[in-house]
Amino acid sequence: MVEANESRLVKAPKEKKNKKKKNTMSQSTAVEEPQQLETNSPLVDKVLSENDDTERESGAGEHELLEDEEFVRTGNVELSNEVHGLEDQDEGVEAHQGVEESDSSEDEVAPRNTIGDVPLKWYEDEEHIGYDITGKKIKKQARKDKLDSFLAGADDAKNWRKLYDEYNDEEVELTKHETRLIRRLLKGSTPHAEVDPYAPSVDWFEWDDAKHPLSNAPEPKRRFIPSKWENKKVVEYVRAIRKGLIKFDKPKEESQFYLLWGDDSSSTDKAAHGLSYIPAPKPKLAGHEESYNPSKEYIPTQEEINSYQLMYEEDRPKFIPRRFESLRSVPAYDNALKESFDRCLDLYLCPRTRKKRINIDPESLKPKLPSRKDLKPYPITCCLEYRGHKGAVLSVSVEVTGQWIASGSNDGTVRVWEVETGRCLKIWEIGEAVHRVAWNPVAELPILAVSAGQDVLLLNTGFGNEENQVKIKELMHIEAPTAPDDSGNSPSIVSWVQHDKHDGITLKHIKSVSSVEWHRKGDYFSTVMPGDILFTSDFIALKNVRVYDLVKQKLVKKLEAGVREISSIAIHPAGDNVIVGSTEGKLCWFDMDLSSQPYRILKCHPKDITNVAFHRSYPLFASCSDDCTAYVFHGTVYSDLNQNPLIVPLEILRGHTITNGRGVMDCKFHPRQPWLFTAGADSVIKLYCH
Amino acid sequence: MPKHYRPPGKKKEGNAAKYITRSKAIKYLQITLPVFRRLCILKGVFPREPKKKVEGNHKTYYHLKDIMFLMHEPLLEKFRDIRAYDKKVKKAVAKKNRDLADRLLTRKPTYTLDILIRERYPKFIDALRDLDDSLTMVHLFAALPSIERERIQVKRIHNCRRLSHEWQAYISRTHSLRKTFISVKGIYYQADVEGQKITWLTPHALQQVLTDDVDFNVMLTFLEFYETLLAFVNFKLYHSINVKYPPVLDPRLEALAADLYALYRYFSANSRVPAMESQAASLSGSEQAETGKGGTQTDETELRLAQLQHQLPANEPGTLMHLVDAAAREDDDNEETRECKTLFKNLKFFLSREVPRESLLFVIPAFGGAVSWEGDGAPFKEADDGITHQIVDRPTQGHIFLSREYVQPQWIYDCVNARIILPADDYLVGRVPPPHLSPFVDNEAEGYVPEYAETIKRLQAAARKELLPMPGVDKQDLDDPQNLLVEGIISRTEANEAAEKKLKMLVHEKRFHDELKMEQEGVQYSASVANKIMQSSVEVTEAREVSLPDFAQVTEDAASMSKVVMSRKKRRLYEAMQIGKERKRANVNILKERKRKTEAAN
Repeated sequence: MVEANESRLVKAPKEKKNKKKKNTMSQSTAVEEPQQLETNSPLVDKVLSENDDTERESGAGEHELLEDEEFVRTGNVELSNEVHGLEDQDEGVEAHQGVEESDSSEDEVAPRNTIGDVPLKWYEDEEHIGYDITGKKIKKQARKDKLDSFLAGADDAKNWRKLYDEYNDEEVELTKHETRLIRRLLKGSTPHAEVDPYAPSVDWFEWDDAKHPLSNAPEPKRRFIPSKWENKKVVEYVRAIRKGLIKFDKPKEESQFYLLWGDDSSSTDKAAHGLSYIPAPKPKLAGHEESYNPSKEYIPTQEEINSYQLMYEEDRPKFIPRRFESLRSVPAYDNALKESFDRCLDLYLCPRTRKKRINIDPESLKPKLPSRKDLKPYPITCCLEYRGHKGAVLSVSVEVTGQWIASGSNDGTVRVWEVETGRCLKIWEIGEAVHRVAWNPVAELPILAVSAGQDVLLLNTGFGNEENQVKIKELMHIEAPTAPDDSGNSPSIVSWVQHDKHDGITLKHIKSVSSVEWHRKGDYFSTVMPGDILFTSDFIALKNVRVYDLVKQKLVKKLEAGVREISSIAIHPAGDNVIVGSTEGKLCWFDMDLSSQPYRILKCHPKDITNVAFHRSYPLFASCSDDCTAYVFHGTVYSDLNQNPLIVPLEILRGHTITNGRGVMDCKFHPRQPWLFTAGADSVIKLYCH
Repeated sequence: MPKHYRPPGKKKEGNAAKYITRSKAIKYLQITLPVFRRLCILKGVFPREPKKKVEGNHKTYYHLKDIMFLMHEPLLEKFRDIRAYDKKVKKAVAKKNRDLADRLLTRKPTYTLDILIRERYPKFIDALRDLDDSLTMVHLFAALPSIERERIQVKRIHNCRRLSHEWQAYISRTHSLRKTFISVKGIYYQADVEGQKITWLTPHALQQVLTDDVDFNVMLTFLEFYETLLAFVNFKLYHSINVKYPPVLDPRLEALAADLYALYRYFSANSRVPAMESQAASLSGSEQAETGKGGTQTDETELRLAQLQHQLPANEPGTLMHLVDAAAREDDDNEETRECKTLFKNLKFFLSREVPRESLLFVIPAFGGAVSWEGDGAPFKEADDGITHQIVDRPTQGHIFLSREYVQPQWIYDCVNARIILPADDYLVGRVPPPHLSPFVDNEAEGYVPEYAETIKRLQAAARKELLPMPGVDKQDLDDPQNLLVEGIISRTEANEAAEKKLKMLVHEKRFHDELKMEQEGVQYSASVANKIMQSSVEVTEAREVSLPDFAQVTEDAASMSKVVMSRKKRRLYEAMQIGKERKRANVNILKERKRKTEAAN
């Protein structure tokens, strides 16, 4: 590069043979000239190419031309500077000096404007563009409007070589000579054809008898040694090329696809890292409603579409079917990108687990039960109704022989009915709501225990033969004045009084009595006051069932029902099984030999279970509830301890109606027949027979 | 050991050790979230659901093995390299070292995904199983415009187009298309490749709606993987039918945007090559015997050249027919394929300008039909005599050739789904076509059969019955299946009517006999008697009505009783099933109700 520079240094002054003297300054300008030419040429190039365009389009590009005038002007001026700088060497240094302020060429007139090199913006709003050489203002020419100038340009064939000189506010027409110059410059050759760039160099300086160098400065070192940095750069490139870091040929496009799955036999099923691959579930396939032309019934009506707006956003249907008359009227789907994106998100963001999908018939879930026909007899239909009570019948009790039933009602009466006929035999007016009635389980002593309010009454029903009556009378009479015999209760809790009105005994308690129950043998009975148990019974329950041994007087077992509140309890005649009804409608069967957990929990009633009952002889048990139904179950207990009890639901008995939110209040089995008595809150007692 | 009792340095156990949250995984792998996301997408790693979420419920958990799997992935290192390299380029640009930056940019490190594909899909069948999403995505991007701002380049769009066409050409060529469905979202296709049902969705060929709530980075990562996967799958499929991949297409047809047709021609040319080659071999063998060794090689190459040129005639109309013929030779395909192959046999279709050309060009040849379209490069012109159907989608048709039927595009899709040639009357130009039903729905299982589905079913049954090759029937009769179909329907309806009449007659007869009996018994047949009879019958019906709810009660009781003895788990399951059933029934009821209303309105 240094050498090239030097050659240029030499070349430039070559033509100027006739120069007598040349200072270094002029030399340096001469050196700069070709560079200037080079730097200017793109501008000129642009203008010319546009000129060519306009030539072709016959003046269509007038606007562009107008806009680029400035470039052209400066380019032109400089160009002529250079060109003539070369040419006018003959004319002497004076001409060279003139280059700065004005054009020195002989065919170029001096600019009429004399404002100098000031921004033309200053004169934008003025009437004049500047001053002429005599100091007079030069008025601005009238502006042609664009359309006129365009039309003029369209007509004028020479329009493409016309330029607007803003400085002088005049149109300049390039001569043929000038255009030729520009063309040559564009090609990269010297502007004048007559210049020979390759003329032999003739040294114009006479070196022979010069005693002193032109410059006194010592020759710098860099003139003599090759550049170190250039060398380094070259070495770097060479190395890079050798290593293959720089490649000149483009890499060949190779097909990157090949037979990936050549033979499947060698591949293993296992994933690379030992975890099972869970394939993503496939998107749901389109149904009829997604069709562009669905059947009419798939299109929701306007009301339905409006109603979607009232739904929660999650519940709203994602897609509202529409119908298009023809395929050409189907528009692009709005959510195509969104849905695709959602799918992408699902694929890489959703946790995946394997869910077993159960594809079974729901009926197969039902357990196989023995046929109900084989388990007959059991109560099926209502055959008798005992009407007479004015209020809800709260309790019903069957006499041991099965001839009579007693019922206690909300209206404060206790009635005794004949089972077969439904005839009401006796009525006692107690005066308070009767919570509980219970027959003495001994057939010879038809005594009725009635709990009402704070009292428990023992009533002599007057049934049975003479002997028994005498015996009962005795019992009732004798026991009445004496103090309570066996329990260690303080008399403050219970006081035994002979009832004044009816034939019986009153046990006055300090609190209201909710329940009364006889012992199996009929010798004892127990009463329950909420929060205070007066007399030990076999079973006590609220949340758990506690089993007490009466003889030893201690807790034997605790049965955990796992229900909220126990409402009723019944014991299997054999004694080892207990059913417990709860207020949440669950019926628990306990096998006491098995565990303290229920053997089976039956969720049969939607409402509270009010009572449960076992049949004495038949393998039947029943539950009744506030939802006005009573369930009858078959429950066989096998003597083989290894065999679990068989429980089969047999029948749902309906018939009662809801009164004051209560349904069936009590149910009792007939002691010998498979009959069921239910006492309803609708003041009716029903008998269901087989 | 509970967490808070664990001494420091003691190893974790259970879910705490097995699963790791996403942010921890990122920290562990020492990468950024976008790179992690990219790796997960490419490697097919997904979060898993631990039994116990140790770190909290609202976090994403990855299995530690999955994360280790990512950690040992060479791609991870590659991504780091690329990042470092990008920094180099950035630096060069910042230092205005233009040529260094350019040079670096020409040699960016690249990566290939073939190993990943092999790893994720060890068997070809696995890849086919997972192809649905990739096909849908590639087809979607084939219809998208290139978006500079989202870095969706023209090159990728073109690649997607190419891949989708290659896939369609294969499916069409092997006649493995099974179902089609025009939905509002686009056109669904279902193909059967190597026993795998592959369903994909192509958008309607329109300017797609661009939304800004989509992260294109994620989508483009998916697309990158899908493109590679589909290319490899295409390679394997093309290899299986002895066609070279990637196909070399006629640039003229490609320029006319008839890529699919160009592919068909490529197929037909390629499929004939093996036969030609064997011929050439024998020929050259004989030549060798005759002329000796000198110059045979040059002769051979010349021969090949000539043959190849012969194979690509300028614009052969019967290319598609050849295709069909060639395919017909293969006997190893199954019953269904054979049925599909011959559905449109001997039919010639012409597509008007306004119908979706790409879809129909794909579907019709897949079912053995010959097809052409309006425009340059088409195999045959509109004036061709052999055209049996012209597919038009405009309100009226100006010039009509009497020799052909002018049907709407839906006819093709319905025929394909029903696998019979449906009568074209309903689909003629200017009419509102019958409802287009989804072939993916099992109507019986859904519980509601649309009316048109039943019609199609009847037609199918008729076609099956009548089209059995009977020895006595003339061949000409067989050629016109439509006639037979119509006849079949007519005969069927007639039979139905006759049966009904017979039933009525029987009833009348019975009544007559009864009356006769009464008269014989001496009872005067009077109005009162008639009244009595009426009354009795009314009573009977009333009794029935009374007993009916009772019966319902009984069944309900039975149901509730069996529910009582079920275990809690089973009962819950049963109830859930009932809810599902109930919902289904409700939907069906809505449909029925709407149908009833529309019928009442008409």
